[in-house]
Amino acid sequence: MPDVVVSLRQVHVVYDGRPALDGFDLDVFAGERVALVGPSGAGKTSALGLCSGSIAATTGAVEVLGRDLIGATDSELQAVRRKVGTIHQDLHLIGPLRVVHNVNGGRLGSWSRSRALSSLVRPAGLDQAREALARVGIADKLMERTDRLSGGEQQRVALARVLVQSPQLILADEPVSSLDPARAEEVMDLLGEVVVDRSRTLIVSLHDFTLARRRCDRIVGVRAGRVAFDLPAGEVTEELGQDLYRIDA
Amino acid sequence: MTTTHDLSDLTAHEAGILPGDAGLARRRRPRPGHPTRRLWALAAVMAVGWSLWSAGVGRRELVNPGGWPLVGHFWGAALSPELSADFLATTLRATLTTSAFAVLGTALSVAIGVVGGVLTSETWWRRKRSGRSRLRAGWFVSRALSGLPRGIHEAVWGLFFVSIMGRDPMVGVLAIGIPFGAITAKVTAELIDEAARGPFDALRATGAGRATALAYAVFPVILTDLVSYAFYRLECSLRSAVILGIIGAGGLGAELSLAFQGLAYGRMWTLIYVLVAVSAAADLWGSSLRRRGTLGRVRLSLLGGTALIVGSWLYLSPDLGRLFGGRTRGLLSDISSSAWPPSLPAEGWGGLLRGAVETVQMSLLAIVLASTLAVLTAFVAARGGTTLRRRAVAGTARFILLVTRAIPPPVWALLFLFVLFPGPLPGAVALGAYNFGILGRLMAEVVENLDPRPAEALRALGAPNLSAFAYASAPLSAARFASYSLYRWEVAAREAVVVGVVGAGGLGRLLEQQRSAFNYPGMLTTILALVVVSITVDLVSAAARRSLR
Repeated sequence: MPDVVVSLRQVHVVYDGRPALDGFDLDVFAGERVALVGPSGAGKTSALGLCSGSIAATTGAVEVLGRDLIGATDSELQAVRRKVGTIHQDLHLIGPLRVVHNVNGGRLGSWSRSRALSSLVRPAGLDQAREALARVGIADKLMERTDRLSGGEQQRVALARVLVQSPQLILADEPVSSLDPARAEEVMDLLGEVVVDRSRTLIVSLHDFTLARRRCDRIVGVRAGRVAFDLPAGEVTEELGQDLYRIDA
Repeated sequence: MTTTHDLSDLTAHEAGILPGDAGLARRRRPRPGHPTRRLWALAAVMAVGWSLWSAGVGRRELVNPGGWPLVGHFWGAALSPELSADFLATTLRATLTTSAFAVLGTALSVAIGVVGGVLTSETWWRRKRSGRSRLRAGWFVSRALSGLPRGIHEAVWGLFFVSIMGRDPMVGVLAIGIPFGAITAKVTAELIDEAARGPFDALRATGAGRATALAYAVFPVILTDLVSYAFYRLECSLRSAVILGIIGAGGLGAELSLAFQGLAYGRMWTLIYVLVAVSAAADLWGSSLRRRGTLGRVRLSLLGGTALIVGSWLYLSPDLGRLFGGRTRGLLSDISSSAWPPSLPAEGWGGLLRGAVETVQMSLLAIVLASTLAVLTAFVAARGGTTLRRRAVAGTARFILLVTRAIPPPVWALLFLFVLFPGPLPGAVALGAYNFGILGRLMAEVVENLDPRPAEALRALGAPNLSAFAYASAPLSAARFASYSLYRWEVAAREAVVVGVVGAGGLGRLLEQQRSAFNYPGMLTTILALVVVSITVDLVSAAARRSLR
C-alpha cells in the first residue's frame, strides 16, 4: 500500500459565514494523479489551498506529507511547503525579474536568506535553472525579462519553477481553464513532464471532463463543498459529469 | 511641450486619477540607441557624487556643533506646545486665513483650469479633414502659453504680487490660483482627451456646437475625477498657502516665521500641530474621494466646496477694486518698466550658472535622500497589517510622514540651518525631509495596491518572508518607486527656490538678494533661469522615466 500523501477528514472551511468546504473527505496516495472536477465555487481551490497550507481549516483534520497542518507552527508549515509545488491559473510570476530569478523562486524555501538575496545580484543555480527550462523547451530564455515573454512561455517558466523545487506533491489549480484545446493538451503534457515516473503526486483541478479522464487515475467530483463522487477515471461516466454540473432551480 | 506635460502628469499621478506609466502591461523593449536603465543609473550615481562633492561633503566642515542645543530645544518643545488662550486665538485666526487662501486659490485654479483645460484640449481643437485629424494652430499656441505659469513656483508669484499689492489677501489667492490653474488646465485637458470620443463625435455629427457637445458628452464623464483632483489641489494649496505666509502673505506661515524668529518653539509646535490636523483633514477627504468616489460623495464635496468658498470669501473679504486700482496698476507699470530689459546678476553669467547648478544639485540630493528614506518607510507604513503590533507601527510611520510633509520646506531649511553651515546642503536636506513625507505616502500607497499573489505564491513554495519580499514585493514596486521619485525630482527642482529664499542657496538665494536690493532686471533674469532649470529637469526626468517602461 503506497503512503498517504494527503488526508483530509471532515474538513469545514468557512469564509465570512459561508461554507466553502462542508465536511470534505479526501485521501491521495503517493504517485497518484488525481483530478478535482466540479462547477465554479464548488470548493476545488479551497481543497488545494488546504493541501498547500495557504488556507486554514475551520474544523476537521488536515494531514499533508505525514504532517498535521492544523496547529502547525510557521516553521513546520514552511517545511511542508518546501515539498509542495503549486501552479496557479494566473501563474503569479514576477514580471520585472529575469526568468532565472522566477525559476529560482522554487528554491527560495531551501536557500538561506543570504543566498537568496545575493542570488538577486549574481544568479545562483544557473545550471539547474537552465536544465529545468530546457525540459519545458525554453532554455534560451534564461536571462530574458519575464514580462517580455509570451503567455505560453510564461506558463513554461511557472512549470520550470516547480521543476527546480523538486516537490513530492504538485498542486495545479485550473491550469488550462482559459486555454484553447491544443494549448490545454500541451500544458497537460508539460505537467506530465514535471510529474515524472510516479515519483511525484499530482492533484489538479479541471473543468474539462474528457481531459481529466484521459490524463488522471482518479476523478473526485466536488459540489457545494463536499465530495460528490470519488472514482477511478475509467468508471466516471458522462451522466455523472452532467449531474455534477447541473444548475439547481 | 514636454515640460508642461510632465508637471501636470505628476500631480495627476499623485492624485491617483491617471494611470501610472510604469505598469507591467505596457512595458516596451528599449529602442536601439536609447539610453538603457544601467546608463541612467550610472549617470545618476555620478550626478549625486558630483552634487555631494560640490556641497562640500568630505571636503570641509559642514556641521555646526553649536546648533545642536537649539535643535534639542525645538524637538523638546514638541511635548509642550503653547496653549494660552491668546495664542490659540491668534492660531485660529491664522488657520482661517491660510485655509481661506487655500480654498479661494483652489477655486480660482479650478475656474482657470476648466476654461484653460477646454482651450488646451485636443478635443476642442481637433477637426477632421479628409479623414485625418489635424490640430489647429490654436492648440499649439494655447499649450505654449499655458506652459509659462507652471514653470514658475507659487512662491515666486507670491513675491511678485507682494511687490505690487503689499499685504493684501488677494496675494495668496492669486499666487496659488495662477500656477495651479495652469496645472489644473493641463490635467483637465488630459481628462477631456481621455474621455471616450464616440459620444462627443456623435453629438457633433448632429450639429451640436463644441461647447454643447463637451457639456453633454464629456463633462458628466470626467466630473468625479475633476472634483477628486480639485480636493487634491486643495491639499497642495494648503501647503503653498503656508509657504506664501512665510514670504509675507500672512496666516499660519507668517505666525510660524514670527515664532521662529523669536525662538518660541512651543508656539511653533502649536502651529505645526494645527497644520498637521488641517492637512490630515484635506488628505483624508481627498483620498476617500479617490478611493470611493460615489456620486453622493461627489455631490457632498461640491456642496461642501461651495460653502467653503463662500465662507472664505466672507472671512477674507478681499477688495477687488484694489486689485484693479490705480496704485496697483502704477506699481505694476513701474516694476515692468524697471525690470525691462533683464540684466545679469553682479557676478555675471558665472553667478547665474552657479545658482542654477546649485539649484539642480540641491534638488538631486534632496530627492535621493527623500527616496531612500521613503523606500525604507513605505513597506512599514502601508496599511493592511494583520496584527495589532504591525498596525500600530504602520500608524506611527504614517503619522511621521504626515508631520514631515506638514512642516513647509522653508521651516525645515531654517531648522537645518541651526546645525549645518549655509550652502546647498541644508537646503537639500530640508527639501529631502519635506519630500520624504510626500514620497513615503505615495510609495506606501504603491505597496498597499501591490498584487499580493506573487509573494503568496512564493511563500506557498516554502520561501521565507524576507525572500518572498525580495523576489516579489520589491521588484514589483521598484519601477513605480523610481518613477515617482523622478516625478518628485521635477517638483523639488521648482521647490528649491523656496528654501533658497530663506538663505539655503541656489537661485532662490540670488532672487531674495535681488529682491532686497529692488533689482528688478536681475530678478527677471533669475526667474527666467528658474524656468530654464525647471524645463531642463523635466526633460531629463521624462527621458529617464521612458527608460523605466
